Order: sequence, then C-alpha cells, then structure tokens
Amino acid sequence: MGIVEHSFEDNVLTTKVDWLVNWARLSSVWPLTFGLACCAMEMMAVGAAHHDIDRFGAGAFRATPRQADLMIVAGTVNFKMAERIQRLYDQMASPRYVIAMGACATGGGPYHKFGYTVVKGVDRVIPVDVYIAGCPPRPEALLEGLMKLQEKIRAAHVIRKPALPA
Amino acid sequence: MSNEASIHGAGEHAAQREFELEVRAQDMEVNFGPQHPATHGVMRVLVRSDGEVVTGAQAHLGYLHRCAEKIGENVEWLMYLPYTDRYDYLSAMNNNLGYSMAVESLMGIRIPRRAELLRVICVELNRVGSHLIAFGTYGMDVGAMTPFFHCFREREWMMALFEKICGARLTYSYIRIGGLFNDAPPGWLEEVARFCDVFEERWVEYEQLLLSSHIFIQRTAGVGVLSREMALAFGVTGPMLRASGVDWDLRRDMPYSIYAEIFAAGAFKVPLGSGAKGKLGDCWDRTWVRVMEMRESIGIVRWCLAHMVEGPVVGDLPKVLRVPAGESYVAIENPRGELGHYVVSDGGRGSIRTRVRGPSFSNLAVIEELLPGALVGDAIAIIGSIDIVVGETDR
Amino acid sequence: MDFTGIHDRLSLIRAPGLLGADLPRKADPANKSLRARAGGPFVSVEAALLPQFLRVCRDDPRLCFEMLVDISATDPSKSATELWVNVSLLSVSARQRLQIKSSVPKQAPRLPTCSGVYPAANWHERECAEMFGLVFEGHPDPRHILLPEDWIGHPLRKDYEYPKTYHGISCE
Repeated sequence: MGIVEHSFEDNVLTTKVDWLVNWARLSSVWPLTFGLACCAMEMMAVGAAHHDIDRFGAGAFRATPRQADLMIVAGTVNFKMAERIQRLYDQMASPRYVIAMGACATGGGPYHKFGYTVVKGVDRVIPVDVYIAGCPPRPEALLEGLMKLQEKIRAAHVIRKPALPA
Repeated sequence: MSNEASIHGAGEHAAQREFELEVRAQDMEVNFGPQHPATHGVMRVLVRSDGEVVTGAQAHLGYLHRCAEKIGENVEWLMYLPYTDRYDYLSAMNNNLGYSMAVESLMGIRIPRRAELLRVICVELNRVGSHLIAFGTYGMDVGAMTPFFHCFREREWMMALFEKICGARLTYSYIRIGGLFNDAPPGWLEEVARFCDVFEERWVEYEQLLLSSHIFIQRTAGVGVLSREMALAFGVTGPMLRASGVDWDLRRDMPYSIYAEIFAAGAFKVPLGSGAKGKLGDCWDRTWVRVMEMRESIGIVRWCLAHMVEGPVVGDLPKVLRVPAGESYVAIENPRGELGHYVVSDGGRGSIRTRVRGPSFSNLAVIEELLPGALVGDAIAIIGSIDIVVGETDR
Repeated sequence: MDFTGIHDRLSLIRAPGLLGADLPRKADPANKSLRARAGGPFVSVEAALLPQFLRVCRDDPRLCFEMLVDISATDPSKSATELWVNVSLLSVSARQRLQIKSSVPKQAPRLPTCSGVYPAANWHERECAEMFGLVFEGHPDPRHILLPEDWIGHPLRKDYEYPKTYHGISCE
C-alpha cells in the first residue's frame, strides 16, 4: 500500500477500508504452481473439480512468482531446492503468503532423521504463515489451511497502525 | 558461436565503403525449471536453442533427492515400507509390491491366494490412476485443460476405493511383506466391479477428448521419435519401450505374483505402439499405449474379481522380522517401467543395502538425445510424454 | 532359465574377466556369509575387465543382453575393505536376467566406465560415483547428478558423517 500503510489510527473509516482491502485480498489469493513431491498430487486434487479451490477464489494458479500471492510449498524441500525457493520467494511481490503443506515442509517429515539433504522444515528458508499437517494432507485439510490463511488476512492491519503485541 | 556478417554499403557518392559490422549470434540457454508448470515436478532441463530449434539439452536432477537408499540401511525392514510409497507417489501400491516381493524372495515365504488376488487388484487400479494423471497432465502440458478434470473425476473414485481399504488416499503402505495390511471391507469388491463398469464407459471419452483430437495429433505425432535401438541402449522400459515397438512387459514375459495365470487365461494383452498417426515411437504412440493399458488393467481387475477366494490375507510373520542373509534383485512392471529393488541382507533387523532402480531415472536419460533438433514447444511435449515422476528419478 | 547354463555359455565364449558363479561373499568379520539367492543367475567378474565382459554379453548372439538395467554399489560395513559393484543386465529376446558382481578396494575404488558399451550406464555410474566415491575411468561426464555440486562426502558409505550446516541452513 506504499505510503498509507500502517499510518492511521483505528477509527470507523479506516476499519472499513481495511475490511475492504482484506476482503479483496483473501478472496483472490492466487497460488504459485509449486508442487514439489507427493503433496503436489493432493494439491492438484484440490485444484480439480471434486474439491474445488476456485470457490475460494484461489483457483488461478500462476506459473510465475511475480504474479502469485501464495506459495504452497507442497513437498519435501532439500538443500538444492532451498536456494531456488529463496529466490522464488524473493521474486514474489508483497503481500505474499506461504503455506507449508505436509509433514515434509513443516518439519522434514519422514526424512527428518536420516535424510542428509533434506531441510527440516521450509521455515528454515522462508517465513511461513500456515502449517498443514499430514502426509499427504487430505485436500480438505489443504482447504482448511487456506481458510485459516484467509482468517489471518482478514485480521490484518493494512492502513491502520499494526496491532500491539499481546 | 559467433557469426560474422559483413555488410557492404555502396553509397551513390564516392568510393565503395565497406561497413563491416560484427554481428554476434549465439545460442540462447533457457532454463526449464526446477519450478515450471510442465516439468512434472522439480526437474531442471537446461536447453540450448538456436531460435526455436533446440540444439542441446542437459538434465539436472537432484532437486527432490530424499535419501531413500540411505534410509533403507538405517530402518527396519517393515519400517521402510512407507518410504517406498513416496518415491513414485503416483503408483504407491506398485512400489510396495516391489519392495515386499524383494524381501519375500529372500525369506522364501508363500503369499496366501486371496492376498495375491487383492494385491493384483490394487496394483492394477493404481496403474489406472497413474496413467490417468499422466494422460491428464500431458493434456495440460500441450494445452488441453479439460481432460485433466475428467481424469481427476475417475481418480477421486479410485482414491476413495483405496481409502476404504487401507485408510490412505495417496501413500498406502498397504501391500506389506508377507501379504497385506488388512482384508477388504464388506462391499468393497462390489464397488470395484461397479467402478470397472463405469470406467469402461468413460474410457471412450478419453479417446475422443484427446487421442483423436486434431490439435493433439498435430502436436504429438511424429514428435520425439524414440527408435527401438536407442530405447534398448538407454535402458528404457515400460510404455515408452512398448511405444517404440519392443514387445516387452514384465507382467507377461517375466511374470511375478499371479500374472502368469492371468495372462494364460487371456485376460489382458500388451498394447504395442505402431506409428498409427505419425512415426513409430513418437509422443502420440506413448500416450496411446498408456490409454490402452488402462483398459487392459480393468480387464485384469475383472478377472481377479471373478476368481476371488476367501482366506487369510496377512502373512505369518514374527514380531521382529529378521530376513535371512542374501542378495536379491526383484523387478516389477511399474506404470512407468521396470521398478527393481535390490536388497542385501546380513540376517539383521534391517537391510544393509536397499537399492531402488527407478524406471523414470533411466527413461529420462534419453531426453538429452531426443530434444536436440526439436522445436522448443515440442520439447515440452517430449518431456511430458516420458511421464516421469521426480520422486522416482531422484529417490 | 537355467542357472548353470548361462555360466557354461560364458565360459565357452571365454568372456574376459569371468571369475566364477555362485561364489559366497564374506560379509563381515562376524562370519555371516552372503550367498546370492534371488534375482536370476549371477557371475563374478574382475572389475578392470568389466567393459569388455559387458561388450561380449551385448554382442555375442548366444547371449544377447540388449539392455543394461542397473549399476549399483554396496558398502557392506564400516570395517569391510571392499566395495561391491552390481551390474544388472536384461536380455529381451532370451527373457533372461544376469547379475554381474565385482569388487573394488575401498582405498583405490577405480574401475573403467561401461558407458561406451551401454549408454544407459552413464547416469547410473554418475550416481554410484557421488554416493560411494567410485571413480569410473573414462566417464564422459563425471559431475554430481543427485547431490549438489559442492556436497562433501559420499553419503552411502557406512562411515559417512552427516553435515552440520550447508550454505547457512542448519542440518540438525
């Protein structure tokens, strides 16, 4: 939002503006096509007709990070890929969100103990907003993760000053 | 590479002036991936192109290397089973079967008959599911969005069937050493029969939607021709090999489980590429072989349903499994080709070497030969038709 | 197919480097002897003559192994002095498999490349080289294939130590 970001006190007008901006953002979170491993199959199932992600507005998967709002890290991250993930995250424009889908992206998954090239959780590389458990998580779990992200966006302060830490 | 072009400009006035302009033209290097909608996972192909024509290709793997073989040495025999699901995540039942059979060959145990039949049903249904994804995503790669949704409609039903039998949609760990995890719940076999009936009607749609589509034929016929000699030299197996005219299917030629019986009963044929729309061994042939194999798999499932018996499904295994010392290489026919498990045991609680020979790894090696000479758009069609799963390429 | 038949055929053809078949391997000082059990017939071949042996397997019309299926290596234990190499061949026309076993000493793990005989060997040898430290002499492209280019160590060896960090990311 540039110069008006985090500039105003809470009042009836700025709350309404924030509500509108957040509503627009959460209703059109466009993900990046970023399936890495098995979780990508469940992500594709979410994109298909049975569990439709498009009804949340998030159906337009963009291939380039510059047009995407959301990076769903679906699958195991290893060191070779971690550098590319860093670069992709840097290329995304603000506001950008990250969902760590599955056990591997959350904390290394089944490869936690003996995987020498596996990064134990993608949050060692990029900041994560929502973690989804499962190996692989059901499509309904991914949709719930998306809904949780939408709650997070709904509560965001855009033009209002940021909320005080609890 | 640099091309020097000299331009002679002759003006009307005065003497000839030679303008020599050094025009440097070099091949452009384009990076396909690792994040790319059409590489079927995280794979990077460095493509050197002269305009639209590809002059060189180099595949870079390892973006999904998850140390499956090292894990095999560090965990117990049965604990390794969930890892087998995850290397070729589209055909997890097949992977489970391959690993279980390798360990069972060292133990020398017999599998109960009902377990064998249920194993084959699950494996063939999984083959259908895997080919559905290969087909649907290949359509998406070449530009057709609709078949993807049709394929997922069937796939959801298949995954619901598997969820009823073992609780998981994608990574099953159902086929275990000595038999299965548990028996099929009541009504499951009837539902599988219903699935077979409906699938055979819908199979016709796939043929009409994509295989006969004029645009698809133009994009894939005659593209990425893999000759028989090259396929054998590079260790290519599976539908890619059969599309190039080599009549080889492990289920029929080196039968395992009860496939010898099923083939002898005439329940399935092995589809062979014939260059119907273009050249033998092109992308259209590979897609055609996969679509035909789906129908053959349904035939196998029907045979197993017709010959189903009652009985135990779980093998008689000790609580702590110790496999006798030895080495064993057992290969099965994955939807992508020959999946081999080479296990070495020293009599302990885990293996000392679990080598996984993934078909996608060997199948992928040919792209460095197939891509040069093709157009950049064809490169996508070729990569998609190889049907790799990067979990298996990288393990 | 007949187990002894292929070995007799190989001896008749005088395939170079052939050491024998059905040889029990000594695994460990704990005296557990390993005998190959399943996976088809197997032969032991001297590592230095492996490409010539494979060439005979491929070209001789009595053998006709058109396809190289797999090349892999095994590190039997921390105290073992040798690395085992296993080459798996497949004959499509004769419907037969053959497992070829070789050993190289851990101190000098060198053996000639087979990629001149079967192009399929190229990528399999790259993987063995980075995982075990095997050096395939004459290999056209000995880069890392699955591991990052600057990875230190050979992971599938039994004495491999896991790294603590890599490029600033913690491995613990």
